[in-house]
Amino acid sequence: MSTRDEDIGASVMPPDLLAGRDLALEARALCLEYSERRALDAVNLQVPRRQVTALIGPSGCGKSSLLRCFNRLNDEIAGCRVSGEVRVLGLDAYAPATALPELRRRVGMVFQKPNPFPQSVADNVAFGLRLAGLRSRLEIDDRVEAALRAAGLWDEVRDRLDDSALRLSAGQQQRLVIARALAVEPEVLLMDEPASMLDPISTLRFEELVVALRERYSVLLVTHNMQQAARVADYTAFMQGGRLLEFDATDRIFTNPRLRGTEDYITGRMRETRG
Amino acid sequence: MGRTVQYHRAALRRHDPGLWLAAGLVGLSLLALAAILSVLAQQALQAFAPTPVAQLRWRGDGGEQQLLAAVVTQDAHALVVRGSEWQRRGAEYRRIARADLRQIDWPADARSLRLRDGREIYLRGDSAAQAPDGSRLAAAEIVEDVASNRLGRTEATGLMLRRAWDFVSGAAQGGGVFPALVGTVVLVLLMSVLVMPLGVLLALWLHEYAGSGRGARILRAAMANLAGVPAVIYGLFGLVLFVNDIGGGLDALLQSATPRWGGGGLLWSALTLALLTLPVVVIATEEGLARVPASLRHGALALGATRAEMLWRVVLPVARPALLTALILAVARAAGEVAPLMLVGAVKYAPALPLDGEFPYLHLSRQFMHLGQSVYDLALAGGDVPRDMAQAHAAALLLLVVVVGLNAAAIVARNRLRERARELAV
Repeated sequence: MSTRDEDIGASVMPPDLLAGRDLALEARALCLEYSERRALDAVNLQVPRRQVTALIGPSGCGKSSLLRCFNRLNDEIAGCRVSGEVRVLGLDAYAPATALPELRRRVGMVFQKPNPFPQSVADNVAFGLRLAGLRSRLEIDDRVEAALRAAGLWDEVRDRLDDSALRLSAGQQQRLVIARALAVEPEVLLMDEPASMLDPISTLRFEELVVALRERYSVLLVTHNMQQAARVADYTAFMQGGRLLEFDATDRIFTNPRLRGTEDYITGRMRETRG
Repeated sequence: MGRTVQYHRAALRRHDPGLWLAAGLVGLSLLALAAILSVLAQQALQAFAPTPVAQLRWRGDGGEQQLLAAVVTQDAHALVVRGSEWQRRGAEYRRIARADLRQIDWPADARSLRLRDGREIYLRGDSAAQAPDGSRLAAAEIVEDVASNRLGRTEATGLMLRRAWDFVSGAAQGGGVFPALVGTVVLVLLMSVLVMPLGVLLALWLHEYAGSGRGARILRAAMANLAGVPAVIYGLFGLVLFVNDIGGGLDALLQSATPRWGGGGLLWSALTLALLTLPVVVIATEEGLARVPASLRHGALALGATRAEMLWRVVLPVARPALLTALILAVARAAGEVAPLMLVGAVKYAPALPLDGEFPYLHLSRQFMHLGQSVYDLALAGGDVPRDMAQAHAAALLLLVVVVGLNAAAIVARNRLRERARELAV
């Protein structure tokens, strides 16, 4: 690593920003390469527990790649190599002894495009519960209801639990997959531009949901929408060109960013600064 | 639906050459199918249609001759007739040139008797059948007594249908094709049961686990090449591997006095056909697996599914229509194969059905009859060519009906699944 890299690493975050807070996720000197392209370059990130942290930055800057390191979904991509350190709730996610199903049960994920399984609404939410070995119908029904309530979907689907999940509207589907992730009671939720396919009203409902979720969950949210980050996130990280450039409390990032690049991006004066 | 119609209308307006070409080719293949079916049906009908009986007088080698006979075929130059078969079936065919014919009458009181062993006797009036040597036919020998020249259209049709049903259900003289029908259906079903799990597992391994490793590359190449190997080679392979090696080994292990597994049998035939159709199943299943969206796979994995759980609970259910497509292709390929079966278990006459009421109901080591083999045997039997050829066509028609029926069942099942998938995708 050159000295310049270290400078950036040191200047990413104000020193005492997360002092005294538990960490849900942590990445140290994380590098990720696809077969020919380096997607992440020495990223350092700390995500506090029971807070909403937003990841912003231009397309292709590595936000999604970074997100997928925390539940190791990158393992699914052929030719993807990861180096550095990833800690989930204090444990090394890439340690040889890590059981992937166990890790992914503790780190739920919501994708950009709603991806309900072609099954009934109830079966979708119960999917993870059944994987976890839950067999009792009563308990499954209870937890399905609880998850749907937590996702703010219960009132809309309580009479349609046996209908196909694919009949729901896009906004409902997105809340359904959130319910599906919540049902297994993870500790962390990763969200990859979850509102990009939703209409404004659904987006509003979704944002209210995210704010409510921070009572119990640590949320890491990738978004292209500056206002959304400003509305829901406690902390915001700015990424560009595979590097994490700035991390700070959301109000400070949006009112007084320390880097010129961050300010340009937030205010829409984005320039090509990579080369 | 509406959108499809709109699309097709738009395509028609555009005079899209691809559309016309496709429509033409589909029409051509449907026409070919209809032609095959109608030729087969026409030929097969001759096996069951009642033949008119004529009183003939003609100039033969030794002066004028006369005979009461069934007219099998006739054209502008000659007649082919069949006299009463007192001796044996097929012995009394005669060809009479029109030039030699003096008189031909169609007596209204003519009767044709059909005997238990398939012979036919023609006589007039109410007289009991009397052989040239003076002996009389026992009534129990006669299975059918028809006034051939007095049949109305409905009676003739009824007779034809009854004979056709007897032929299919096995009540006909000479056994009919019922054992072959049962053998064919049981064989194809057993083949499906064997090939589907194996083929799907192989496809899953190839597509989901193997990646692009050396083993997977070799297996893929093997599959592509196996699909082009002539069927009879599979028969030889099955004979050596299943019948001789495994079957013989089993017999030695069980210390049976007579070869039970070491001869051709239903199981070995089904396994041979399963090998034959394996490439088709693997390739079609792999294509189906490739069409399952990555978003669903990732969704399952992100919820803590292991790879096996993801495949079992999400990927395979979504790919079910593709599995049925694989099955349809396999059945279509297997049901028409005869050559390999002759080496590993299909026989001309099997003493017992492979499926009956005796425990264990499905007799895997038994030899069996197959419609394809029946067609082959009937067509080449050579004893009573007009009747055997007609029956060969009838058996061929039945084989086609079985293949089409099995395929139609699978297609209906697939369309139901697709419809459900479409409902889910609304």
